[in-house]
Amino acid sequence: MQEDKQRSILKCVRCGTCRSICPVFEELGWESFSTRGRMLLAKGISKGMDVDESMIDSINTCTTCGLCEQMCPAGAKPTDVFEELRRDLVRMGKVKGSQLELYNNTLLTGNPLGEKRSGTSFILEQRDVPKVADYVYFVGCLGSYRFREDALRTYDLIRDVGVTVLSDEVCCGSPLLRTGFDADDLIRHNLEQIEKTGAHTIIASCAGCYNTFKNDYPDRFNVVHITEFLAEHMDELGLGRLDLTVTYHDPCHLGRANRIFDAPRKLIMAVCDLKEMKTNRENARCCGGGGGVRKGYPDLSASIAKKRIMDVPDGVDNIVTCCPLCRVNLEQASDVPVIDLLDLLYIAQKEVLKAV
Amino acid sequence: MMLAKELEEILGKENVSTRMSELYCYSFDASGVEGLPDFVVRPATTEQVADVVKLADMSNIPVVARGAGSGLCGGAVPVEGGIVLDMCSMDRVLDIDIDNLQITVESGVVHEKLNKALEPYGFFFPPDPGSTAMCTIGGLMANNGSGMRCVKYGTTRNYVLDLEVVMADGRIVHTGSKTLKTASGYDLTDLMVGSEGTLGIITKAVLKVHPLPHSRSVILSSFDNTTLAGKAVVKVLSSGIIPSACEILDSTAIKAVRRFDPSVELPDVGAILMIEVDGMENAVREEAALVGKACEELASAIKVAESGTESENLWKARRLVGAAISKIDVKRTRIYVGEDIGVPIKELPGMLEYVRSLSEEFDIHIMTYGHIGDGNLHTGMAIDMLSEEELESAHAVADRIYRRAISVGGTVSAEHGVGRARAMYMELEHPTSLEVMRQIKRALDPKGILNPGKMGL
Repeated sequence: MQEDKQRSILKCVRCGTCRSICPVFEELGWESFSTRGRMLLAKGISKGMDVDESMIDSINTCTTCGLCEQMCPAGAKPTDVFEELRRDLVRMGKVKGSQLELYNNTLLTGNPLGEKRSGTSFILEQRDVPKVADYVYFVGCLGSYRFREDALRTYDLIRDVGVTVLSDEVCCGSPLLRTGFDADDLIRHNLEQIEKTGAHTIIASCAGCYNTFKNDYPDRFNVVHITEFLAEHMDELGLGRLDLTVTYHDPCHLGRANRIFDAPRKLIMAVCDLKEMKTNRENARCCGGGGGVRKGYPDLSASIAKKRIMDVPDGVDNIVTCCPLCRVNLEQASDVPVIDLLDLLYIAQKEVLKAV
Repeated sequence: MMLAKELEEILGKENVSTRMSELYCYSFDASGVEGLPDFVVRPATTEQVADVVKLADMSNIPVVARGAGSGLCGGAVPVEGGIVLDMCSMDRVLDIDIDNLQITVESGVVHEKLNKALEPYGFFFPPDPGSTAMCTIGGLMANNGSGMRCVKYGTTRNYVLDLEVVMADGRIVHTGSKTLKTASGYDLTDLMVGSEGTLGIITKAVLKVHPLPHSRSVILSSFDNTTLAGKAVVKVLSSGIIPSACEILDSTAIKAVRRFDPSVELPDVGAILMIEVDGMENAVREEAALVGKACEELASAIKVAESGTESENLWKARRLVGAAISKIDVKRTRIYVGEDIGVPIKELPGMLEYVRSLSEEFDIHIMTYGHIGDGNLHTGMAIDMLSEEELESAHAVADRIYRRAISVGGTVSAEHGVGRARAMYMELEHPTSLEVMRQIKRALDPKGILNPGKMGL
């Protein structure tokens, strides 16, 4: 085993700080479901310990939220260790059925949901999209197959600066990369199409897609999140003021992983009042959906979502987020409606039109 | 496997594990000690603990109580196998009785939660370990842990009024009373505190609580080296002030604090003393001035923390400095050996000098920090865990530190416990009394099923 890899596992001093914040450990209570436990198992497995199903569950239940890394006094990077370990396990053939389903779906249909491949055709059919442009709007699988109306609105918000979409967009690769598979074919396919458009910048609206373009794709173009882009062009959006108070859920892969905290808040505060959640920004709790946990361990994922909802302050009309995975995962646990930030901006735009 | 069935009958299937993932994870704490259990169980009631212990007694297999597993000496590691009792499900605060200045808790309550429960009443539980966010009250009592505020407030021992304990034969006993003092009978409460699960399993505790001080102030004094800082501590303590905390950070510890929280402003000097005084506002102001005066001749600079937030951030960073040394060099990780000696106050400058000489002799960087106000020094070494040579050096340094501490009338552990990691020094530190400890152990646990292989017993 490479020395660097071993050292990153040995970085954990087993102090247990992560026990106090790991959302999965909080639900399950057994040491093997805490960050420290997983780091120990990584050590054991790296030394050749036989891997059984209970260990796969331990490693696969990490949502990769990264709160442990944020808090770790020793500077360990557990999320990196676990993603690497998941790749090792996959190579060893140690995978769960739900993981394989995700993998097969994505390979067969180009999206982890297993939907008949249609990519961005719903936009191409309804809008006059240029073939060549400076910007590519990467819609993402949830946008393409679950939230098409939102995706169309997003496109409409930014189309004026010269934006195209990929004619045969496939999954960015995030679900596979987070669960131990490689996503080389998907990445290659998307890259080829991006190059054809001549774009210099990718705009992603999903936190998972953004994180993957930013950190897993070759560094050949700019990557911005839709909220960064819109925050810069806020004056051109024609936003009205809404009589609403909302709270904002920081998606882990947008906030903690990529430090995008201010842009979404700037947009929200431009259109309505913002009341922060009990934990927010770099300390925000996870929705429970990431890292393949929603797919592989739905009950666990739902109970973590419930805990996150307990962070919602009183007297808010909506929970706003900007990751469709967070949105669906929180929706199942919340009485307060969960909406995408883009929805909020859309309503704020309509408000102005009404006034005219 | 019969035993697994019986355990499941006592605790329910979901609270008994023989999964390899669990057995492996419960075979460690934060020390280098390892030992694989046969079963891990999570009791929710005292009766369940008693039934498990009775079963272990009949089957003659070890039972090891475990809190959060944040221990630094292998105290909760089942070195001879057996059943690990994960006490973390017993995490209820049962009664807050401010009129009687006490609180009743189950032993799996996390330290930080205890203080959060007391805060609305204007009270607190003074022992303040660095591991407050995760360690349990049970673990704290079993090791007589203390932390940063014991120079004024004493150790955990001083706050335990009564314990509910499951004895080695499964009997449930109460050791003390609900009064703030007692002169009645042997002090079994005190015997249980610090017994590391070798005499009984603590399931509940009645703890004395203390009113929160009206005001606190932190005085930061800078020194050219740790020896000068050690001398200043002797001066401060003998000047008639009892600080609520008195901590030392050497230059490496200062670097580690900064790496942990870049917003904490600490000067780049050989050593810093963080001295806290607390009480009524006027008294705090006067005492802070006196502390400054006592340090004046030896210090290169003296500063008082500006705000409550500034001192809170300082303490937060200080709490985690032991692990944060691992952040300084990506290749190195903190190893906990020789990390918890205590020496008489007057021996502090000499001990600090000795640690410095060891650092040169072994060519290994030794960070010094700790609760210097009670003579408790933490020495921290961060090594390349893949280098056998460095590991050997670290153990050799630790051995010298332990022996020196004992030779000046000190102790191998001021607050982390003995466990397995320091068991070999018990004979040296307690030449006449270790045998008495063994007699007590034999009387209370004749089969030796409670946490065997620990404390040199």
